[in-house]
Amino acid sequence: MTSPAISTHALRKDYGRHIALHGLDLRVPRGSVYGLIGPNGAGKTTTLRMLLDIIRPTSGEITVLGENPRAGGAALRRRIGYVPGELRWGTRLRGEALLRHLAEISGPVRAGAIHELAERLDLDLTRPVRMLSKGNRQKLGLVQALMHEPDLLVLDEPTSGLDPLVQREFLALIREARERGQTVLLSSHVLSEIQQAADDVAVLAAGRVVAEGPVADLRLASVRRIHAMLAGSTADEVRSALQSTPGVESLEVADAPSGGLVRVSATSRGDIDPVLRVLTASTVRELTVEEPDLEESVLGLYEAEPQAPRRRGRP
Amino acid sequence: MSGAAGVRQAPLPILRRALTDGWRGLLGWTVGLAGVALLYLPLFPSMASPELTDVLDALPPALIETLGYRDIGTGPGYTQATFFGLIGFVLLTIASIGWGAALIGGAEESGRLELTLAHGVGRVSYAVQSAAALVLKLAWLGVAAWLIIRAIEGPAQLGLDAGNLWATVAAWVGAGLVSGAAALAAGGLTGSRAWSVGAGAGVAVAGYTLQAVANNSADLDVLRRFSPFDWAFGSAPLANGADVGGLGLLFGVSAVLIAVATLGLARRDVLG
Repeated sequence: MTSPAISTHALRKDYGRHIALHGLDLRVPRGSVYGLIGPNGAGKTTTLRMLLDIIRPTSGEITVLGENPRAGGAALRRRIGYVPGELRWGTRLRGEALLRHLAEISGPVRAGAIHELAERLDLDLTRPVRMLSKGNRQKLGLVQALMHEPDLLVLDEPTSGLDPLVQREFLALIREARERGQTVLLSSHVLSEIQQAADDVAVLAAGRVVAEGPVADLRLASVRRIHAMLAGSTADEVRSALQSTPGVESLEVADAPSGGLVRVSATSRGDIDPVLRVLTASTVRELTVEEPDLEESVLGLYEAEPQAPRRRGRP
Repeated sequence: MSGAAGVRQAPLPILRRALTDGWRGLLGWTVGLAGVALLYLPLFPSMASPELTDVLDALPPALIETLGYRDIGTGPGYTQATFFGLIGFVLLTIASIGWGAALIGGAEESGRLELTLAHGVGRVSYAVQSAAALVLKLAWLGVAAWLIIRAIEGPAQLGLDAGNLWATVAAWVGAGLVSGAAALAAGGLTGSRAWSVGAGAGVAVAGYTLQAVANNSADLDVLRRFSPFDWAFGSAPLANGADVGGLGLLFGVSAVLIAVATLGLARRDVLG
């Protein structure tokens, strides 16, 4: 099967005058873990809900597991597991009874699957659902999404409220799902989670994809923080050399208090090689290059979002 | 895979859950209705006296007509005026509106509908099963009311005809169903619990008011045609037997409102 698990083309959603999505193009390969990240209001939840036909696009096309969500209907949704962004279960039912009800309306659930998942996530199924803490309600959401081993998992902020131990177990469950050939679409603003779990990622901002690709590539194309101590040059020489180097920002060059050294700190956006060439013209006594986390690169992408033609001027 | 399935995929999961989730409430309403019937109906022998007739004669005729107390001196008239036409009607209507509002509007506002519809349940199926739950719960209350009234009818000397009692119970359930179906329809169209309650209560109050006004003025008699309360009780079914036309209107309008709920839910975005 080479057709993608999910593809959208020019997907647009308007709520009255507010445009939640402006022509979204996504392609989630089968068997991959795909991350969707972006700030609140970027359109993540809107996108995920449209995959399940909970809300419907204003225009554009969606294909999920080879079918249009509206035409595929209930039969298609049995092949999907979904964790909504906000889980509110106002029911007196106990966890077990609720999951049995949900199992009746999802794909077939293997005997014992519910209890295995509950045990791994450390969830007590005997308690009334509305007495559960936020973390435990979230666990219940995960169990109901995973229990029928669906072809596609659509998870909206799945780890919110979970403690780190359970988050780790969740990541293991996701990896196992991928090994079984299930596809996972995961939205998050916990970026470490995307870094650990996802193969590919799309960054959403203001209803558009502002970047997409393998998680590793996204990191390469981004920001690094550089600190160096140089000998054998004056601060003025180093400063003027770095100022004319493309991609260097937040430059600070000063004489160190002792030893005739020059202290440099800067942010490099993009290719790092020209920066190193400038630095190695002097004698490098110390050098740290901090690998950026996804958060910084993503923030960089938000800033680069061409909503208005203003960009930060370079020095 | 079917042999290993841990959970049987039995039919009508939404209907069954609506019934099992709500059994406490249903039991409460049953007890409440039984209480009202037991409170009022056994008083009939002491009320059906010359003194009561004198009191009624002293009251302004408009009040008598508005409350529907014209035939309160007879067993069927008393049962109609105190139970089916007044407190029993109010209780049934409140229960029905509450259920109708919760099934779509309430479920949507609580976020439960989003999760349910993200599973293998279609919109039409959800709305139809919800409506079926509403009808079944009201039918339960109808059967319960019939049994309770039959049980106390002898000692209370009401002299009710069993067949006419069925006809009246059906009309009473139908009148409750119109309001509940209006609440369901508003939920299907808007997803709002408040709008659902408003629509259901609006239908009930308007229906009662229209017939009360019509009772007081021959010129305004035409208003009856728009009153579900009058469709149900206008021909005094407890005394005169089933009014097939009235029952047809009650259940026909309810069916239309359920269709509106279904189409409304099927065509719009579900928001939480």
